[in-house]
Amino acid sequence: MKNGKRKYHNTLRSWLCLSPSLVIIGLIVVFPIVYTAYISLTNMNVYHWFNFEIIGLDNYAKALTVFDGGFLQALALTVLWTAVNMVFQLVIAFFMASLLNIQKLRFRRVYKTVLMFPWAMPGYVSILLWKNGMFNSQFGLLNQWLGKIGLDPVRWLANDAVAFAACLVVNLWLALPFMIMIMDGAMQSVDRAYYESALLDGAGWFRRSVSLTIPAIRPIIAPAVVITLFTTFKQFDVIYLLTQQVGAKTGANIHTVLTYAYENAFVTSNYGYSSAISMCIFILLIAFTLIYNAKGGKRRVEND
Amino acid sequence: MWKTIERIGLILLNALFIVICFAVLVPILYAFSVSLNASNSILGSDFSFIPKQFTLANYRAVIMDHPVLLWFGNTLILAVSSVVISLFAAIPAAYSLSRFHFKGRIKILNAMTLLYSFPAILSMFAIYKLLSPMGLINTKLGLVVVYIGTMAVFGALNLKGYFDSVPAEIEEAANIDGANAWQTVAQILLPLAKPAVIVTGVMVLIYVWNEYIYAITFMTGSSNYTLAAGLYSLQATEMSGSWPVFAAASIIVSVPVLVIFFLTQKHMTSGLTAGGVKG
Repeated sequence: MKNGKRKYHNTLRSWLCLSPSLVIIGLIVVFPIVYTAYISLTNMNVYHWFNFEIIGLDNYAKALTVFDGGFLQALALTVLWTAVNMVFQLVIAFFMASLLNIQKLRFRRVYKTVLMFPWAMPGYVSILLWKNGMFNSQFGLLNQWLGKIGLDPVRWLANDAVAFAACLVVNLWLALPFMIMIMDGAMQSVDRAYYESALLDGAGWFRRSVSLTIPAIRPIIAPAVVITLFTTFKQFDVIYLLTQQVGAKTGANIHTVLTYAYENAFVTSNYGYSSAISMCIFILLIAFTLIYNAKGGKRRVEND
Repeated sequence: MWKTIERIGLILLNALFIVICFAVLVPILYAFSVSLNASNSILGSDFSFIPKQFTLANYRAVIMDHPVLLWFGNTLILAVSSVVISLFAAIPAAYSLSRFHFKGRIKILNAMTLLYSFPAILSMFAIYKLLSPMGLINTKLGLVVVYIGTMAVFGALNLKGYFDSVPAEIEEAANIDGANAWQTVAQILLPLAKPAVIVTGVMVLIYVWNEYIYAITFMTGSSNYTLAAGLYSLQATEMSGSWPVFAAASIIVSVPVLVIFFLTQKHMTSGLTAGGVKG
């Protein structure tokens, strides 16, 4: 009896402690998602701000059947964007971390601090500095350099492919410090004795990387890689600020799913359609999360 | 012989790192140099990273010609209230999720993990539509509501992850010594979890400081702007030449974040990785 009472008290206290957080999440996170789901079933737009009506799944049909200039195209580009980013990030970060871990490198700390800068800078400031300082076709540094070697200025953000590459460079610049730090930390945790015996066996850098470093750091960096995968897929700032700013579009027609949803909500005012896209993205992300968690759970069991 | 090769290798390696570090800093160095340079010929190709004629005129222009101090004040009010409310909600929630094994705990954790993957920007329009009839659009309160909502799941999960790594035995010992729950949390758990509390607070602070999309979409009129929204509005367009002033404003806005980042950097890795989430 006493035990049961204590349990009740504990349960009450648990929920009491949770309540401020749950109220905030319920009202400001969950309810707007439910409301988004509701809007996605209506024809709400500029002309139907108040007198909108339920039109069923039409918005979803439009989102999932039209490719050109539609959600599916943005989704395809987002997948490409994520894949290219992840490959570059993992490869470059691995090389950088390997170099940072060369034993006799004295000024490692100085280099690391400098390499941290892009991570420490406010992201949107960096992106705007890249846009206005580097890529501007009139006074941007890149075109100044091109001019010096006698080449014509390039409109970096006007053409789809070039703008995509520009966004890629900026995103790598922003994201690499985190990945380098994670890999560097993981490499430091590898027992040096393994390397010494590998060196004695005459294994070169490549051989040591493939059969020693990569297997050793893989489980350590896995969570950070997955987190980066999600943040890259959900990247909004780089593409929006470089190319899609409201009232200052640069001419490149590249959209990730998030900039596409924003564009449809706040620029072209297709609220119903934008909400349908939002729900599709949310469902995709839930699916990814569930798959990842299921796999992670399985791995944990295997390790036990 | 072997020694010489090694030495040359190390010199090359250091040279490589110096080149890389310089290349990484180019966008920042360029902005910094332009902001301090008096003789900015906008189209001039004789650019150098060291200003030829030093001036603070661009910084003066930022502070005198634009309501930067007002924007700073707005940002500070938003940031401090968001941090306080977020921590006030997240600490007890994380404590509860970490220490009490009540019914429904796993369900709440799973739901939170799913919500964590939801980008706030997707429900932005719904929030706009909900806040608008309440008169919260174009108010600081409206933005605080958005910001604490956006960071609520992160705060609770991040702190919970760190609390998990603090052994409960210490608290149990304190309980036996007659300390009540509040004393245990305030005097034992929180000091032990200080890195995570600091990092969580700093992440909320930096999030609010850097947030521009809600600030420009929900706020109209430059007197309501945050620093981020203000800086956004100062951008040089392709044709206009306010780039040096914009560069100066960028530096002003970034310095506080850089200071906070490098002050809390030693906590960053432990305070973030334990929770398994990145802001």
